[in-house]
Amino acid sequence: MIEVKDIRKSYGDTQAVKGISFSINDGECYGLLGPNGAGKSTTINMLSTLFPPDSGEITINGLDIKNAREEVKKILGVVPQEIALYSNLTAWENMLFWGGLHSIAKSELHKKAEELLALVGLSDRKNEKVKAYSGGMKRRINLACALLHSPKILLLDEPTVGVDPQSRNMIFELIEQLNKDGMTIIYTTHYMEEAERLCDRIGIIDSGVIVAQGTLDELKQKSEIKDVIVMECGQTPDQSFLSSKLNLQVKVTDHTAYIESNDSKKDLTRCVIGCSDAGYEVHHIDIQKANLENVFLKLTGKQLRD
Amino acid sequence: MFKILKKELLSFLKDKRAVMLTFLLPTILISVFALAFGGSGNDDIQKIPLLVCDQDNTSITRQTISDIDSVKMIEVIPCSYDSGMDLVTRGKKAAMLVFRKGFSDSVSAMTSFPCDLHYDASQTQEMGIIQSLLGRSMYSSMGKAMRNKSMKMNKDSIVLSIDKQYPGMDKATHEMVVKNINKNFESASSGMNTDAQSKMKLNTVSVVSAKVGNLGLVQAVAGTAVMMLLFSLTGMGGGLLDEKEQGTLKRLLYSPVHPAQILLGKMACSIIVATFQLAVMFIFASLVFHLQVLDKIVPLSIIILATAFACSGFGVFLATIARSRAQLQSMSTLIILSMSVIGGSMVPTFIMPQWMQNISVISINYWSIQGFYDILYRDLPIGGIFLERVCVLLIIGIVLTLLAFRFFRKNVLSLD
Repeated sequence: MIEVKDIRKSYGDTQAVKGISFSINDGECYGLLGPNGAGKSTTINMLSTLFPPDSGEITINGLDIKNAREEVKKILGVVPQEIALYSNLTAWENMLFWGGLHSIAKSELHKKAEELLALVGLSDRKNEKVKAYSGGMKRRINLACALLHSPKILLLDEPTVGVDPQSRNMIFELIEQLNKDGMTIIYTTHYMEEAERLCDRIGIIDSGVIVAQGTLDELKQKSEIKDVIVMECGQTPDQSFLSSKLNLQVKVTDHTAYIESNDSKKDLTRCVIGCSDAGYEVHHIDIQKANLENVFLKLTGKQLRD
Repeated sequence: MFKILKKELLSFLKDKRAVMLTFLLPTILISVFALAFGGSGNDDIQKIPLLVCDQDNTSITRQTISDIDSVKMIEVIPCSYDSGMDLVTRGKKAAMLVFRKGFSDSVSAMTSFPCDLHYDASQTQEMGIIQSLLGRSMYSSMGKAMRNKSMKMNKDSIVLSIDKQYPGMDKATHEMVVKNINKNFESASSGMNTDAQSKMKLNTVSVVSAKVGNLGLVQAVAGTAVMMLLFSLTGMGGGLLDEKEQGTLKRLLYSPVHPAQILLGKMACSIIVATFQLAVMFIFASLVFHLQVLDKIVPLSIIILATAFACSGFGVFLATIARSRAQLQSMSTLIILSMSVIGGSMVPTFIMPQWMQNISVISINYWSIQGFYDILYRDLPIGGIFLERVCVLLIIGIVLTLLAFRFFRKNVLSLD
């Protein structure tokens, strides 16, 4: 279990983290979602014991990171944002080096390295220098190197930056598998779809504070963001008539009605029938699902990639 | 075209490093080289210090020393025999002139010339100048003393002989005769006879081994080796900055490795590479240029290790105070070239002005090259002066390593 209580961190006059608190249960995948400069990496660096918070408290499996850095390091695996590998060494040499820092027995390390290389699909290219790899392959080795000592908790700091779709998918599948096997995961990203796909709970971080956290549904509720059923009709519908008939919030522009719904799947049929009954010929239907992007926009007032 | 020119100039001026490399670096290097070899442009004559030990301490030796001191290019430094020998043996001064006990009596009797010039054979140029100037000054000074003595003896014997042959000579005539004799003696030959000159040959004694190696070769190998070592180790130290830039340093810090271990690991690697680099250079010089190293393996290994340690400390220290590779490159070029000039990597220190010789001790090059001289040229045994130089190199290495640790924490680990 990870407990973060009111941590703060400043660099000179700039306050990067302004009192963040959250807790993560064992085996959970927690996402930190926010734009660049929101404080995600600073939070990860504090969690990974790279530097302590100016104030506040972080405990990992009951260990205070200020007093038990070495013990905490043993149970943490960190995948940095950079491709932190020695490009002149082969993938195999990199794995032996990074694993060797954790004092793993040689035979065990070799076995683990082989396993992980197979898992990230690079067994057949393990003896090539990392500098010859594609961006996606480098990212996969970058991830594999963090798993050599079989950590209980994995911190991933934007691990898919500049990755091709194939590698991205492979990384997602690996993270999902690790999480399924019981590994606790903290995942920072500014890609909504990644957080939506991988994370059980999400903390939305902006300007050094967590503005909201919870499951995706909880975040939708908190932000009061709804799905929108878009119906393009042969003529412009009457807004108040349609709204009272469907008992839903309706906005109309030109020939299109935008109908807000908490459960678009359930309301879709009712909306189509309602429109037809009212004499509006429906030409086209679309559902705009409430997503993290809308939630983020609603909660922070800005686009995630601002 | 004008727009391109304007843009190029603007880009150049905004690149502080490029501007520094273009103007500041050459200016500083020209200053260092000029001060080392050309002086400050005025006509002041650079005096060569000459230690003088006067064991006879008579009016003749004092007069001779004063005459030597009046030579424009020589600066007499009085000293005791032991302290003078120590300074010459260490290579701090080129030579010591010793007037042995009984010098004046020997000169008066024109029997011998008990005066020795103890010198450091590695300082060939200074020695050449000293010997040439000393010869001229001392022949003149001693010749005058000898002439005065012999003339006085001859005059006295002639006057005595006249007194014996003409006992009744009146006082006025006697005075006139003596005056004429004096006048004739004073206008007599001003030169010194060949016999006296042969007796006045200065006895020169090298304070270092009788077996003298090839100074030029030792200078070329040691000077170049140390300078190149400083460059290559600074490059290796720069690996720290690369690790910071690439994120591997951060990843190392995530692992159960203490930050001090990272720096120590880098240093250990530098020391090993440096040791091999120096060893290879001396083996090459031995095989190709026949530099005698085989019988000096132990002292050579000691000075190589000490040099490797000091240079590694220097490389890591520079890397920890630099903010980027580019900054490290500019800084190291400037510092290493300056150290190499004043420390004797490019030319021997003894041809430099005295004040530059005095500041040469702040460079690693000086202590290392002098250590190599001690073994390969002066043929000094392990101990004494040689060990002192080794200790200085070790102290430099320790101080730079400690400073590197401090700046590593402050600059590198800040990861900002």
